[in-house]
Amino acid sequence: MDMSGEYRIPVPRERVWEALNDPEVLKDCIPGCESLEKEGDTGLKAAVVAKIGPVKAKFNGKVTLSDLVPPESYRITGEGSGGVAGFANGGADVHLAEDGGETVLTYKVHAKVGGKLAQVGSRLVDSAARKMADDFFGAFSERLTRGEEAEVEAESLRERAEHIVEDAAHVVEETAHAAEEQLEAAAGKGSFGGPVMWAWIALALMALGLLMMTQ
Amino acid sequence: MGMEGIGAPVKRKEDRRFITGRGRYTDDIALKDMTYAWFVRSPHAHARIRSIDTSAARAAPGVVGVLTGADLAGDKIGGLICGWMIHSKDGSPMKAGAHPAIAAEVVKHVGDQVAVVIAETRNQARDAAELVVVDYEPLPAIVDPAKSRAAAAPQVHPEAPGNLIYNWGLGDEAATDAALAGAARIVTLDMRNNRLVPNAIEPRAAIGAYDPAEEHYTLYNTSQNPHVARLVLSAFVGVAPEHKLRVVAPDVGGGFGSKIFIYPEETVCLWASRRIGGRPVKWTADRSESFLVDAHGRDHVTHAEMAFDADNRILGLKVHTIANIGAYMSTFSSSVPTYLYATLLSGQYDIPAIYAEVDAVYTHTAPVDAYRGAGRPEATYVVERLMETAARELGVDPAELRRRNFVRSFPHQTPVIMAYDAGDYEAHLDAALKIADYAGFAARKAEAKARGKLRGIGFSCYIEACGIAPSQAVGSLGAGVGLWESAEVRVNPVGTVEVLTGCHSHGQGHETTYAQLVNERLGIPIDQISIVHGDTDKVQFGMGTYGSRSGAVGMSAVLKAIEKVEAKAKKIAAHLMEASEADIVIEGGELKVAGTDKSLPFFQVALAAYTAHNLPAGMEPGLKEGAFYDPTNFTFPAGTYICEVEIDPDTGKTEICSFVAVDDFGKIINPMIVEGQVHGGVTQGLGQALLENCVYDEESGQLITGSMMDYAMPRASDVPSYNVTTTETVCPGNPLGMKGCGEAGAIGSPPALINAITDAIGNNDLSMPATPEKVWRAIRAVA
Repeated sequence: MDMSGEYRIPVPRERVWEALNDPEVLKDCIPGCESLEKEGDTGLKAAVVAKIGPVKAKFNGKVTLSDLVPPESYRITGEGSGGVAGFANGGADVHLAEDGGETVLTYKVHAKVGGKLAQVGSRLVDSAARKMADDFFGAFSERLTRGEEAEVEAESLRERAEHIVEDAAHVVEETAHAAEEQLEAAAGKGSFGGPVMWAWIALALMALGLLMMTQ
Repeated sequence: MGMEGIGAPVKRKEDRRFITGRGRYTDDIALKDMTYAWFVRSPHAHARIRSIDTSAARAAPGVVGVLTGADLAGDKIGGLICGWMIHSKDGSPMKAGAHPAIAAEVVKHVGDQVAVVIAETRNQARDAAELVVVDYEPLPAIVDPAKSRAAAAPQVHPEAPGNLIYNWGLGDEAATDAALAGAARIVTLDMRNNRLVPNAIEPRAAIGAYDPAEEHYTLYNTSQNPHVARLVLSAFVGVAPEHKLRVVAPDVGGGFGSKIFIYPEETVCLWASRRIGGRPVKWTADRSESFLVDAHGRDHVTHAEMAFDADNRILGLKVHTIANIGAYMSTFSSSVPTYLYATLLSGQYDIPAIYAEVDAVYTHTAPVDAYRGAGRPEATYVVERLMETAARELGVDPAELRRRNFVRSFPHQTPVIMAYDAGDYEAHLDAALKIADYAGFAARKAEAKARGKLRGIGFSCYIEACGIAPSQAVGSLGAGVGLWESAEVRVNPVGTVEVLTGCHSHGQGHETTYAQLVNERLGIPIDQISIVHGDTDKVQFGMGTYGSRSGAVGMSAVLKAIEKVEAKAKKIAAHLMEASEADIVIEGGELKVAGTDKSLPFFQVALAAYTAHNLPAGMEPGLKEGAFYDPTNFTFPAGTYICEVEIDPDTGKTEICSFVAVDDFGKIINPMIVEGQVHGGVTQGLGQALLENCVYDEESGQLITGSMMDYAMPRASDVPSYNVTTTETVCPGNPLGMKGCGEAGAIGSPPALINAITDAIGNNDLSMPATPEKVWRAIRAVA
């Protein structure tokens, strides 16, 4: 299967890069994600339970990141296994471009599916994977946009603080700190993990979607 | 012809139980304490098994046992075999790789079984199978037969270097080359005979039952040939000695060849029943499994050249074919692309020189073996596509080019083994031309054009060979078994009759046609005649049903047994009526003294045979006779099919407007059953040509047409109402003059359709299946 796509995310590139590397953000944006653990410096392990129609299955996956050029591009390779449902493996090249204050994310995926997934779902792999990718980026984008709003709020607090007399300085610092914390929580800060995840998870999820057909 | 005798369109006796849901298939059989098997299958096309962890599965609810290839090897259960030895041109025997019933070290196609889980219920077995953890090391796979011999191609079996099983040749290569060199015109064609998935309505199933007290095994199995299954399972696989193994093939819901073969699953069910202490083990395939592991059909890649002289007479034919055997050699796989294929390359034509060379190759795909027609559809496709192409290139009428080259005198020895015994090829061509209104085609084409449609007509003058025989000949060609048939006719004391046959009915209607033969000879109503088949405990031996053999071979054996019964009955009747044996005739259910009014009903003679109160001196009591019949030759059904299509150039969609089938099947027992066989066969052939295609992903080796969503079977709306009729030349090779009709439709129809479509679109470069996309592209390629 070959798939490529492009998403516009209305936040700056560094912010997107950071978020894509934050396991917490990813865990929240991937539906059914049960766990997400770092494995070594460039690996990540995850378990995702997905329920689509009458089918519920757990996909276990591993991904590895390579060719890292922060905050611009990298390559992900990975594999996911859904037991009797079959398996998916492959790779994706992800590129982040700046466009004004926004980020244009482009990706190219080449993946193979096997077992029941290939047997009954090959025809639907492309559209199912695309839907999964859309769902992920929808959630991801929304999450980051909420982060931006928090930052705007923080900026106004900072501005207000600057106009306050010196003896109130500690209050300002606390407010700004709180705003930053908010931001961090929103945008995430982990060393890496994100784009890595969506690719294989897209594969895993489309796999599950297709499973319905076998029942 | 009596009301129920030979030639009568009697309704099928067996249909009452089938259409009221009372058929009894393997999956309907429930034995006491039965367990259920589920196979763990490889998701990879090619992989090394690093380890198998069955501990979680063993602990799962309801699990009785989990068995692997290591257990199988430990019990010294042998691998499955290919029963037909083919020698390469260089004289070396074919190079068959190992075929374990459960893979222990390397899996070789998607679906290859690696373990079996046996549990109290089917769902428990299925759930537990998900808990078997197999650690695979995936390896590169090869699925395309045309690429499998490349130096860099992944290897399937170490026993077959370069994936080559055999390089086989038939015919005179030098004479053929000379014919080509001296030709006025050579017509060349590259063809692919698309891979097919059989898809009988009833999936395969097996119940293995071991009786520890008697150390005896029983196998209930969806088999077309239970005796051959018993022979292979005992003599080669070594599951049980033959006298300790009973194989029962009850009602079977279609086979089309795919149920001839001895598969891993039934082997495992038998063995597993002993392993778990004698509880029966049942396995029933689901449709997904059928797609993965039933033996597929066809899959040939062919280059062919046909040479013509200046008068458009064929001088020679040279064919090279690469045949995909799959990952393992199935039971009769080696014979299909050789003696069932190249021997038919002469078609209906007088061709002085033919040479065929066949490379049989391994790939990481499901095994490929006989499927309705088995080799003859592939041969017919080559010959009939070439003839149509030649007609276009030579600028002559396709019907007339064929007519010019027909074999006209019989017997006719072809350059490729076959000796055609009888036929009248012009008779069916002329009949088909008339029924199809060939003369009116130009007007229909013009009328279609006015509507914006492309109309085309295509021919196929097929010949095939049925009732593969005689045993001595097939033995010399490498067959591991004889191809005779046996029968027993048991007349009961009250005059009812049981016919035991070694053939097996799985849709052919033997319960009706065999009874019609008895009725014809003994005058007994067919509802007083039972046909017994499909049980090795009841029928002594037999070769089963395939290759359209049950009429020409099976019924000939029945006839021989009937003749023995008649002879004894006449002796008894002569004795009872104090007449000369030579004066006794059997007529209308009575034994009569010719020229007198003396007669005895058949049942009274039967009763006399069993009371034995008044038999001729020295005669044994009873009225029961058996016979073995070994044919003297193949039979050669032939016919002309004409297909007319209309294509929408905007969508590429083909509508089959008419399909005319004129077949010469020799003597016909039941014309209604014959017509049904032609309808089914033609539909299967049109399915191949228009819709069906089994595809493996080249990169991953995954089966990507693994369900009815992606594998298109023909439906009623895809085909027209057929125009089916017959001509008759009596087959001299068997006492009933029969030829066989079970496969002809599937053999003859694909080239007729492709010839019609390529005629309509004016582009000869079109492969099967002719999907709308392909046709649409082909139209644009020449626009």
